[in-house]
Amino acid sequence: MSIRLAVDIGGTFVDAMELDTRTGQVRFRKASTTPAHPAEGVLNAIAALGTDLSEVELFIHGTTLGLNAVLERRGGNTGIITNEGFRDVFLIGRGNVPSDHMYDFRYQRPESLVQRRFTAGVKGRLDYKGAVVDELDPQSVRDAARELVENQGVTSIAICFLHSFLDPTHERETARIIREAYPDVSLSLSTDIVREYREYERTSTTVLEAYIRPIFERYVDELEKGLADQGFAGRFLIMRSGGGSMTGAVAKTSPTHTVLSGPAGGIVGAAYLAGELGRDNMLTFDIGGTSLDACVIEKGTAVAAYEAQLEHYPLLIPTYDIRTIGAGGGSIAWLDRGLLKVGPQSAGAAPGPVCYGRGGTQPTVTDAAVVLGFVDPERFLAGTMGLADEAARDAIREQLAEPLGLSVPDAAAGIFDVLLAKTVGAVRQITVERGHDPRVFSLLAFGGAGPLLAPLLAREMGIGEVLVPFAPSGFSAWGMLSADIVNDFSRTVMTTLDGADLAALEPLFKETEAEAIASLSAQGVPAGDGVLERQFELRYLGQEHSLMVTVGSTLDAEAVRAAFNELHHARYGHTMSNPLQILNLRVRGIGRTSRPELPRIEAGGEATPRTHREAFDFGTREIVPFAVYDRADLRAGHRFAGPALVDEGTSTTVVPSGQNVTVDEHGYLHVTPAEVTK
Amino acid sequence: MTTLDGARVEVVRSYLLSAAEEMRATLIRTSFNPVIYEVHDFGLSLYDAQMRPIAEATGLTSFLGANDYSLRKGVEYVGVENLFPGDVVLLNYPYWNAAHASDATLFAPVFDGDDLIGFLCIRAHWMDLGAKDPGYVLDSTDMHQEGLIFPGTKVVSRGEPVRDIHELLRFNSRMPDAILGDLHAQISAIRTGERRLLEIHAKFGRATVLAAIDRIIADGEARTRSALAALPQGTWTAEDFLDDDGITDEPVRMRVTVTIADGKFLVDFAGSSPAVRGPINMPFGATEAICKVILKSLTSPHEPSNAGTVAPLEVRAEPGTLFHAVYPQPTFTLWTGIVAFELILKALAQGMPERLPASSGGDVPGFMMVGVHPDTGAMFAVSNNDFVGWGGTADHDGTDAATHVSGSTGRGTPIEVMEARTGMFMERVEIRTDSGGAGKFRGGAGVRREIKFVTPGEFLMVIKKTKSRPWALAGGLRPDPNQIVAFPGTDREERISTKRLTVVPGDRVTLLTAGGGGHGDPADREPAAVRRDVAEGYVSAAAAEEVYGVEIDD
Repeated sequence: MSIRLAVDIGGTFVDAMELDTRTGQVRFRKASTTPAHPAEGVLNAIAALGTDLSEVELFIHGTTLGLNAVLERRGGNTGIITNEGFRDVFLIGRGNVPSDHMYDFRYQRPESLVQRRFTAGVKGRLDYKGAVVDELDPQSVRDAARELVENQGVTSIAICFLHSFLDPTHERETARIIREAYPDVSLSLSTDIVREYREYERTSTTVLEAYIRPIFERYVDELEKGLADQGFAGRFLIMRSGGGSMTGAVAKTSPTHTVLSGPAGGIVGAAYLAGELGRDNMLTFDIGGTSLDACVIEKGTAVAAYEAQLEHYPLLIPTYDIRTIGAGGGSIAWLDRGLLKVGPQSAGAAPGPVCYGRGGTQPTVTDAAVVLGFVDPERFLAGTMGLADEAARDAIREQLAEPLGLSVPDAAAGIFDVLLAKTVGAVRQITVERGHDPRVFSLLAFGGAGPLLAPLLAREMGIGEVLVPFAPSGFSAWGMLSADIVNDFSRTVMTTLDGADLAALEPLFKETEAEAIASLSAQGVPAGDGVLERQFELRYLGQEHSLMVTVGSTLDAEAVRAAFNELHHARYGHTMSNPLQILNLRVRGIGRTSRPELPRIEAGGEATPRTHREAFDFGTREIVPFAVYDRADLRAGHRFAGPALVDEGTSTTVVPSGQNVTVDEHGYLHVTPAEVTK
Repeated sequence: MTTLDGARVEVVRSYLLSAAEEMRATLIRTSFNPVIYEVHDFGLSLYDAQMRPIAEATGLTSFLGANDYSLRKGVEYVGVENLFPGDVVLLNYPYWNAAHASDATLFAPVFDGDDLIGFLCIRAHWMDLGAKDPGYVLDSTDMHQEGLIFPGTKVVSRGEPVRDIHELLRFNSRMPDAILGDLHAQISAIRTGERRLLEIHAKFGRATVLAAIDRIIADGEARTRSALAALPQGTWTAEDFLDDDGITDEPVRMRVTVTIADGKFLVDFAGSSPAVRGPINMPFGATEAICKVILKSLTSPHEPSNAGTVAPLEVRAEPGTLFHAVYPQPTFTLWTGIVAFELILKALAQGMPERLPASSGGDVPGFMMVGVHPDTGAMFAVSNNDFVGWGGTADHDGTDAATHVSGSTGRGTPIEVMEARTGMFMERVEIRTDSGGAGKFRGGAGVRREIKFVTPGEFLMVIKKTKSRPWALAGGLRPDPNQIVAFPGTDREERISTKRLTVVPGDRVTLLTAGGGGHGDPADREPAAVRRDVAEGYVSAAAAEEVYGVEIDD
């Protein structure tokens, strides 16, 4: 029992990473996703690795199943029970049209997750202080449940009342009454998921959970059984969107926490690396086939967010503040009245880029990479897949270069230029918004296309260092291996810091901590091994946006204010004298997992290129010979200068002239500007 | 002359757009005012040195068009020779600001060394500038009752805050913390934009940036012109009435003639009422702004805006008329623009019923409560623009219960926020059965909102189209008009339009907002769609039978 296994399901591939904790050895394989039976793809990927499941002590899993269920509307009949007179809170939302439709008077909302006939109001109402205005009427709950379940065939119900975050009694009583009558109906209570104000956002979060939950339960059961059938008897964990992991049992009761877990593995891994490598500020740069995800790691901690969106639905769960732009290897380049656009359409996996030879006819970023000489057609995906490089060249010539009056390489370079400019915008926003100069960051490049673009992006933004981990396309799965067991609990407080009797908050913290401890121990974290973090979510009175301040076990108003002011100044460049308002108190319970050690590679003398290849150099904007290195041949201490390509089959690192590469003791590539390295 | 390839232009465009979005993020995250941070009631844009708009951030569409007008007027007043690096100028003189006095426009020149390279402009709604009444003004009879006026006044001079002006603001506002907070948020956003614009010039070189801007604008113009040429050409006239001018009960005539011909998009308001006594007159810049939004929606709804995208527009309205107020005519209640927005569409829809939806609920049912909060003793003024149905179109039903088309990205104020911050308690907010106009594609549904007051204060209703029904298209049916009922079920019950009510605990107001107009003959609606609407409660079984001729079995 010394093997740990991480399996990450993405849109196209299932990535499986195996770590032998005795030797520190890591192995990585991919299998195709199997959308109809996702558990199958997971088992296939494990089979590809050949792992003996009876030797596995820990299986950790990242899945976008919940996300896909929503996007593809695969959920069952989901209902809502709320206050009488307010059954349409979810359908109306905030009334607004998404900003990319601001000039569209024919805008239509996407089909709702909940039909209106699946919604019902019941008698019972709280006011804004949580005081009961009308008692909950049990008969109206029974009537509503009967209508939804018996007449409408609803199988899962979201329960969310106005101001319920202040007092869960009505929701719990409602659930009790429904459970009595219909024990098989799946119930999701807003107050079990999120104790925060704003009824639409809270309802939406609850509905998403109610929608996903039955599917997710079935999936986890099926996968657990499939693993057990092959002898697995270790611990089964699922990644959370906001970092850390949870047991399968907890995941089944709070599946919304998994919906954005796809990119979380990479960020958890990055935060761990930031600590191991001594980098305070790191930017993750994860590019796959269709999108680019970027996230800031600040002082070793990934920046959190407490509101995300799934499609257009708000989701109040802790998550990472990930900026996604629709730009990846499959993004299509096209001309719009003589102007070169890249994306948002993607060729995806089917038909894929022109160079895949699977019927794609529109040139993509990957095609540009082939034309620019960055991808070796012979060795693509370790030679398992030949590339139609001539077809890629023809597509760029005919569709872009000739109409633009550019040479083929210049047109292909233009695709990179346009993509990079969009990326710079997205990356700048997340750093500048937080009051940082992007140049203080190390850029961690992963995902299949991350190393292709990251050194160029760094050059464009003046970033001093790019790190490329081994097996960049499997980095997310590797990151999962370092995930702790984490859970978050919160309470809305809504009081001013100065006016509040902080001592009076102590029992509330204690109560919340008790929940966290109970949850950790239910997940097998021994008492005493859990770590609890207390946080306040604060803002200046009158402001909307809040910041999180971690507080010690003794609550000191002055210290809290000082910490908040420092954070606010860093983020927004000023402080204010307004009183501070505490919105929520939060407790994060953490059960530490022993982290995988970083691999070590042998030291060696001089790096020797395997070959040389003509490619486009963004440093000089000319085609020049590039030294081509095999990643497997590199040794600790190797140094070489761009223009160079580092090839490892599943991805290529492109180093333009003016940048140097140093290989560290773990085999990580450090790409830095030449003037810094010298 | 630098020539650029189509890749370089897009690279520069990306940088410019991202500068605008960074300004927006700064504004939202530092503002104090729920109308900015909850409702997103602002507009933010970047200009070149000739004051041509080059990029804008997401915001209220009509605010964005208004910025262009205000910037030109503001710079004209101050004199470009009197603008220096680090200056930030405040403008709210309505006839120049293209809006009412409580929309504060801040603009700033951007200098690269001694050279002027562009301007930045941010408009946002401020809570109180000392107008005759707190919250909102519904019955002013001249501009001087509408708040403190700044004709183009430096609030920051060469990088230094002008303390006297800040103090003047503080002492003239009922909510000084809120407006000074907004002022600082807008200044922060301008500083962000300034840094970014300078970086862009440094990075690409001025010649490249200028050439890219020319190309971006030329592209916007070419795109608009070709889309305009593809639209039906002709001249169409429409008429509608506002409920009243805020002083008397007399309906006020609006008339518009729209011509698409010879590469022009001409909007002429001849035949509309002369300027009226109450505050529903429109500054001309505001009139122009709504026309820009409509032209853009017809020709390039999904493209970034710039000077080129509205080049074919010409707007005519005689000074001294409803659509071109002159000093000192009152302009506070901007609702005319909202109803006129749909009036222009009504004219156009005659020529292109397949492209345009029928009328939405026809207006923005705006309401606000002003009072003193019992928990804090501080004054509050919290508003909400209520939802209406959108019009049916030639191929789908109108959206149910949404923010009005004229400012569709605006967000409703959460019930929990409204109840916590005001003396309003919501008894119901629900979609109204049979409120959408029937049609082959029906109008979206309006809502029923029942408000009970739990603390004393003032309730302000702002709406200008409750007396007539929204229009339908292509044989669709018109929905019932908006209906606002004060003190329902009491002997004081009254149907109101725009009104300021004094309320005490226990009083009630009910809003029945209108649905959208129907599109096409209801007899042509798919029976399955009618049955689904009945099952979902959008249409009653009775209406299904009577209007659509579809029998519903129980």
